[in-house]
Amino acid sequence: MPVELPLPKSLRQARWKVKIQEKESREPPHVSILRRTDKWRINLRTREFMNAEPDSNDVPDELLDVLRQNWSWLCRQWDSMYPDNPVVGEE
Amino acid sequence: MNTILLTPNLGKVNGFAALRPRVVSSGKQLEKSVAAAGRETLWISADAGMTVELLKLVRWPARSLGSALLLHKLSVETLGALQECFSPIAFAPPGGFLSTPELVAALRAKNRADLVLCGTVDKASRTVRLFCGNLDSLVVPFSAFSPSGDGVAPDFDRFSVADYGHTVRLGKYEAAVDAILYEFDADYRRRKAKERLRSERGLGASLRRLRKERRLRREDFAPLAAKTIARIEQGKIKSVRPRTLTAIAKVLGVKPDELEDY
Repeated sequence: MPVELPLPKSLRQARWKVKIQEKESREPPHVSILRRTDKWRINLRTREFMNAEPDSNDVPDELLDVLRQNWSWLCRQWDSMYPDNPVVGEE
Repeated sequence: MNTILLTPNLGKVNGFAALRPRVVSSGKQLEKSVAAAGRETLWISADAGMTVELLKLVRWPARSLGSALLLHKLSVETLGALQECFSPIAFAPPGGFLSTPELVAALRAKNRADLVLCGTVDKASRTVRLFCGNLDSLVVPFSAFSPSGDGVAPDFDRFSVADYGHTVRLGKYEAAVDAILYEFDADYRRRKAKERLRSERGLGASLRRLRKERRLRREDFAPLAAKTIARIEQGKIKSVRPRTLTAIAKVLGVKPDELEDY
């Protein structure tokens, strides 16, 4: 089952979503940030954006703060979905 | 692209307004539209009856009338005739599409080829056919949707598309579309490889490589903002001020004019 991080109302109303989706076992551990047709991925090991596009500056600081506050929880969720590709592993 | 919307129900038009379609709701309008259509025309039909009327107006052998997105049920027999006039064609049963606002946004998106608009499930062949925003399709076997560690298995009776085309839902199971495309769409892999190559050249890529080698975080370049470092790494800042370059080079322990060589 996918994991969706609960977000404050203001972010939800602006259509932001943070998810760990299925079928991503071959990728480095990451969370997906979704807003309308855009998608950003942040590596759970390095805390860095994984793709050059879309512009990472378009992700609001408020959302990045929520991610930081829930980092350990997100890492645990990834590990439970992908036990063969845990966050603490080879970079 | 010229968009034509076939619907006898003018209430449906508003949802598609952002595509600025020519709305066709009568036989006369349909005749004119068929005559004017060409390869660059996108037909969206919300009504099976109007799709059939369109086919009756075609002079066979058919010339290309453009591409088609069919939002209604479709018989296999009709599909054959449609394929003679339209390429590509995307279609799905009711419930197999994104919601109308998401569908319209996905069709207008720059990255529409990376988004899924709709799909069909064929239990006989144990495959799912997905249609992307450029209307190209790909076939994915059931076996590609492997259960994740928490044991949730895909439910192929409950197919839907969500998140503006980023997600394929199979009951409680949600597959990331980019992961599916990476595995089953060679064009997608080529596009991503090109993007990677582009991002691996230049000052930004060198800065990123050096920073990782030195085990530094973007925050370690203060007073330069971490966001500025990120923008340089991503190639968003094309012309970096000499003062900024010197500050970065100092943290990395290299000469400013050699930074790009790493």
